[in-house]
Formats: sequence, C-alpha cells, structure tokens
Amino acid sequence: MGTTRVEIEVNGEAKSAEVESRMLLVHFLRDVAGLTGTHIGCDSTNCGACTVLLDGKAVKSCTVLAAQASGRKITTVEGLSANGKLHPVQKAFLDKHGLQCGFCTPGMIMSTVWLLSFNPKPTEQEIRRYISGNLCRCTGYQDIIESVKRASDSMTGGR
Amino acid sequence: MEEELSSPEYLVRGKGMYVDDIRLPNMLHMAVLRSPYPRAKILSVKGGLNGNELKGGVESVGEGATASASETEEPIFGTTSVNYAGQPVAAVFADDLYKAQDLLESVEVDYEPLKPVMGIEEALSMPPIYSSLQTNIMSDKWRGKEFELENAPVVLEDRFFNRRVATNPIEPRGLVASSDGSKLTIWISTQSAHSIKEGIVGSLRLKPENVRVIQADTGGGFGLKGGMYTEYLIAAYAAMKYKRPVKWIETRREHMMASRPGRGVVGKMKLFADRAGKVLGVKGEVIVEGGAFSGGMGEFASNFIAMQVTGPYQIENAHVRAMSVFTNKVPMGPYRGAGRPEAAFFMERMMDLLADDLKMDPAELRLRNATTGPFKSPTGLEFEASKPFMEKALREMDYASKSKAGNAGLACFVLVPAYQPGESCRIVVKDKKIRVWLGGNSHGQAHDVFAKKLISEELGVDVKDIEFERGDTDMLEDGVGAWGSRTAIVGGAAIVSVARKIKDQIEKEFGKYSPELLLSNQFDVYNFEKQKGSMNSLGANLATVELDSLGSVSVKEIDFYYDIGRPLNMDAVRGQIIGGAIQGMGQTLSEEIAYSQDGQLLTASIADAGVQTAEHIPRFDIRLADSRSVLPHGAKGLGEAPTIGVPSALVRAIERVSGKRVRETPVKAEMLLGLVK
Repeated sequence: MGTTRVEIEVNGEAKSAEVESRMLLVHFLRDVAGLTGTHIGCDSTNCGACTVLLDGKAVKSCTVLAAQASGRKITTVEGLSANGKLHPVQKAFLDKHGLQCGFCTPGMIMSTVWLLSFNPKPTEQEIRRYISGNLCRCTGYQDIIESVKRASDSMTGGR
Repeated sequence: MEEELSSPEYLVRGKGMYVDDIRLPNMLHMAVLRSPYPRAKILSVKGGLNGNELKGGVESVGEGATASASETEEPIFGTTSVNYAGQPVAAVFADDLYKAQDLLESVEVDYEPLKPVMGIEEALSMPPIYSSLQTNIMSDKWRGKEFELENAPVVLEDRFFNRRVATNPIEPRGLVASSDGSKLTIWISTQSAHSIKEGIVGSLRLKPENVRVIQADTGGGFGLKGGMYTEYLIAAYAAMKYKRPVKWIETRREHMMASRPGRGVVGKMKLFADRAGKVLGVKGEVIVEGGAFSGGMGEFASNFIAMQVTGPYQIENAHVRAMSVFTNKVPMGPYRGAGRPEAAFFMERMMDLLADDLKMDPAELRLRNATTGPFKSPTGLEFEASKPFMEKALREMDYASKSKAGNAGLACFVLVPAYQPGESCRIVVKDKKIRVWLGGNSHGQAHDVFAKKLISEELGVDVKDIEFERGDTDMLEDGVGAWGSRTAIVGGAAIVSVARKIKDQIEKEFGKYSPELLLSNQFDVYNFEKQKGSMNSLGANLATVELDSLGSVSVKEIDFYYDIGRPLNMDAVRGQIIGGAIQGMGQTLSEEIAYSQDGQLLTASIADAGVQTAEHIPRFDIRLADSRSVLPHGAKGLGEAPTIGVPSALVRAIERVSGKRVRETPVKAEMLLGLVK
C-alpha cells in the first residue's frame, strides 16, 4: 500500500507524518494527532459525528483523505477553547442541556461553529437545516436547537 | 425551571473516553468476517480465528435473558452453518484497522446457500430451519383464560405489524480486551458492566474473579448495549490467546446487519364489545420474529407483550397466544420500549377501530373502559385507577379543542418498568470525598445528577463533594443494568438505602449525624436494594399532523401527560421525553430494517434506516402528573414512555387526515400518496 507525506495544521499546530495514502482524515486526527474528540459514528457520511472545520468550513472527516487535507488548516473540537476557557458554543450546549450521551456533540458543536461563522443570527429553520447533517439519537434535537440559539445570542451580545 | 448542570463539561471539550478512544500499547485491531448469505451450510472455513478453534455459544444475559437449547443457541462462530446475513464466521487481527480489513480477504469459506425463511408468515408455513425441530416456532404460550363471547353485539378483528427497527445509538458497539495472563480486563460501551461480565464468564467458562469489566463513556444504548454479543467473546478470547490487547469497534454497516434490532412483531386482535362501547373481552395472537437463534429478547418478548395487551382498561376477559418464531435474520433484541410499544399499538388501534365502528369519540370510549380503582387484567397487567388519570390527561393536553380539527390522535398506555429484582449501590467516603457506584450504567440519561441530588438530600452534603463513578465490576460486587425505565426508580432507591445506612452508622457511633462527621470519617457501604411486585404507571399522548398531496406527513405537535412520580431532574426528564418522542416518530414514519426476499439487507446505512434529523421535529407540550411513588425518593419510570405512546397517537392522527386505516409501522409516504383530504 502506497504512502504519502502529509502536513496538516491542526488547531494551529503543524502535524506531519508519512501515512498510508488511503488514510482518512478522521483516522489521521484520532490516531496520528491523538485528538479523539472527533468521533466515528457511521461509515457513510450520514451521522456527522466526525465533523471538523477544513479551512473554516465544516466537513465530515470520514469522507476526506488525510492527503486531501495536506497543506490546509483543520479545527477540531479540542481547538475551540482558548486557554482552557470554553468557546461560547460549547458553553451554550452545557447551559441548555444540548447533549445527553455526548457522542454526537463534538460534531454538532463544529457544525454550529461553522453556521454561526457566516450566519451569526440564524432563524430556527436555518438552524434545523444546518444541523440536519448531524444525527443525534438521544436528545430529539430540541435542546440542541436551543443551544445554538443561546450560542448565537451570546456571540452577538443578544442583538 | 431550576438550572441544573447535567452535562459533564469534558464531553463538550471532546475529552470523553469512549471505548474507541482507548489505546493500549501493542494493541491488535479485530475485524470480523461475516456470512453474505442469510442461510447456508458451511463446507469449510480456512484462515483467521474461526469456529474450528473457538467453539461454544453465546450465553443470554441482561434484559429479557432466557436459557437456550443447544442447536438453536447462537454459536460464537458459524462453523457448519450460518443463519443470517452478517453472522460472524471468522475474525482477523492486525496492528491497525486498515490492515485488519485487508486480512479479511485471507479467509476462505466454502458455503452452500439454502433457501432462507424471511418473515413471520413464511416461518409458520415453511419447513423448519433447525432439523431437530418440527416447526419454526421458538416458543408458544398462552396468557389469560379461554372465554366465549362470539355473540357479543360488536366483534371486531384486525391484524397489525410493527416492522423491525435498529437501535442506532450514534456510538456503535465496541470493546477493548486485555489479559495479563491471569486476569482479563474488558473496557466496553455498555448499559451493564455486570451483565457483560456474567456473559463472558459463562460463555468462555472463566472464573468470575479473573474477569473485570469496566464501563467506558457510553454513547447511547437504547437497549442495544445491555446484552452479550459474540464479537465480545471473540475479542476476549483473542486477547488471552495472543497475549495482546484487542480492540473491536463495530462499523455502522455491521450494526445494521448484526446488532440486534427491536420490534418485528405481528398482532392479531379480536375485540368483543357492547353497543355502548364497553369492551367485554379480547382475544389475540402476538407473533414475534425472534430471528435466527433462541435465548434472549426474541424468545422473551412475545409473552411480555401478551401480558400488556389489555392496556389501561377494565377488560374482564382476555386470552392471548404468545409465539416467537425463527427466521433467517439477526436475532431480535431489546430496543427502547422492548415489547411495550407493540402491546400499546395493538390495543390502541383496536380502541380506535371500535370508536369508529360505534361512531364514538375515541377519548369517550377510552374513559368508558377506564378503571376507577386498581385493576389486574386477566393477562396479568396491573395498574392504578386509570379513569381519573385519563380525565386529567385530556384536560391537560386540551383534547377537547385539539381534536376538533380532525388531525389529532390520542393514545393511553401503561408503562411497565423492569422493577425487579432491584439494584445495587456502593458509597465510599474517604479524604472528604464521596464516591458512588451504581449497578445500572448511565449512557446519556444523566444518572450522575439524580445520584448526587439524592445523596445531597439524604446526607446534607454539597454535590461538589460527590463523584459519580462509571460501572466497574471490581468496585461493585453485583448489579443489574440500566434499561426498562428502571434506574431512577431502583437505582434511586438503592442510593437512598445506602445513604441511610451510613447515616445510621454515624448516629450509632457518635450519637448524632452531621455532614462534618460524615466527611471527616471513612465509610464503605454496599447494598443491593431488592424490589418486589411492580411499579407500573400511566401515560397519555396526543399528536397532531398534516398530510400533503405527496403523502408526506408532518408532525405539528406532540402533547404528553405522564405520571413519572417525582421528577428528579427536569432537564433530563425533558430530554428523555423529547428524545424518546423522536424515536417514536421515527418508528412511525421512517425507520425500518428491511431485507430483500432472498435475505439481503436493504437498509445498510443509518440514513437508509430512517433515523430522524433535526429538520422536521414538532412542537412539544410536556405535562407531568403531580405524584410520588411509594419509594422514599418518590420516582416512577419514564425512559420508554414516549416510545410507547407516541407511535399509537401518531398513527391515529395519520388515519384521521388520510382516511386510511393504519395497520403497520412505518407508515411511508407511498402508502399515503394522494390521500390528502
């Protein structure tokens, strides 16, 4: 099996390794970079548990090759909190009970961060639409939607 | 509403320790070779770890466990035959997952395909799958007593079917097994560390003291993760054989083909009534598609459903046959509700049919058959006075006005939690810290919050001084599991019992109790708080829907009126209710595990299986009865209530807007095309 040299900036840190060419980005993040906050929930780009930001845009890292991410910037859930302080989206999920088992949560949070990055005040319909690529089996989504609204409010000062 | 922090901060930081996050030095990754055929003879297997070496069967443990006969018991590996597409035939091991997947190609299996038995009706008409049996009937029992009412003024018959549904927690199954030569340690995603230990010890014939099972953070369960699976035994055996840790993580595709799904039940019902709407008797036949092997929920469920089929009504005559049958599909397992939703579906459908036949309001019909005092039905279902409960429910859910528009459906039910035999708890106080272990393992329900709250109430300590520990069989000598809407009830009672024992100990020793005396001394108290009898409770749902010309149903609102006793944590209660309601909505509208007639899985991804997304969720109006159970902390059951009530309420609403009698779940758009009124 062929190998490829990849260099990826993960959460602001350069990570480089010689990996199998077929290695998926999610396995690079989990097994090479040691960042296990990005989860694997399906093998078919359906559940969104593996969502990360690739150059600021949400992607499902189970459907991106590590080689495709070479030379680009990745943000994972571990990269959100600055100096240990929770990102407003993380805090909103805690405050509004936006998680139960927590397995879909990192992916949900990353999709939310992406949505709020280009649409700081989404409508409820927009929130539902933008997180519909992330499946949650525990919450029934209502408290996740409330969490996104709370995050939007806190990041825009409620304006 | 009181703000309660019920979600641990480490999970939003991505610092959870789920089983796939565990990495041990020198660890092997396991991949499983599965049968592509639903039914075949195996002429030979060469390569990998297979049944020529690892023989034996999978012991049934956990929810709905039953002992099993030899030929129909699930083998660890299919060796001379396979009986469902996805059944493990061999396993391979490599330093990483990619290499393990590659190694699957090194295994050679010679199959001779046979005609599979792919449904309940086929099971009853086709020759037996197992040559030692005369038929494909796995179990056949009766509940209630025979009666004769054929001349009743109203006699109605119908047949219903809830198709199979995958449990689909977002974290699939998985474990890491490691052996130091004498002791086997298993880290696993589970609802019950103790059931897993019992299954490993029993199936692999190990000594209990040589096996330790530790619960990893568990990413949802919904019934899936309480029982034993052959992959767990293979990984455990391999860890001992190769003297290296072994990790196995299920793929979603494997989940669809080899994780035990729920539902898959036919109900044939016959109702006898008078013209005033009083139900005089019920006859029925419950047939569960048990799947390929006996032992466990597939065998247990039919009798459990038959017991509950009379619903919250005063029905004096009932006689119900309970059958489970073998088919060439993965065995049935417990899925949230585990028989309770099917029983409610069958009875509530008949009540609606009777209401329509008599041109009565369905709520009025239900009230006419409700009880003014405690009742035990001929099939054995016990419940408290259902009439005052239903009257209150109809007011709280505003049935009178919401039913006028012709798009609402009502359902009433009894929740039968898995109350017996109780649950265990251990509390250790040392170095000013209180640590608590509970027999049933939390997998998203925030058991930690109510555990801390109850200990704080009983012992007057700050919740910050309390640590809630994950399941660990070396730290807690016995335990049952978290399923069947039970943990707030029996786990809560166990916590209170241990806290009170500690308090008594302090009072005896020091002549008085204070939190300071507690924290400045050391205690280590364990108790298995036994429970007898039942802790059944009542619930009701009202659902309103709209239908478009393409047959697409949109659910507008779901109303709840549940008796959950004393709510221990409102955030978690709301989360359980809404999460369960969306699962119930999924079962009703979209979720299904489907096979082709020749036995191949058609729903191989989580999207194909129809799990609901955030896009179309309705409004929710949640009301709780003002109530307490007889237990010291006042809790009753909750977790499965929405999966019981919501499907029955929803199908009635769909029936109202489409004018088409609904007999099956899921109700797909193609069934409702062009029916909009």
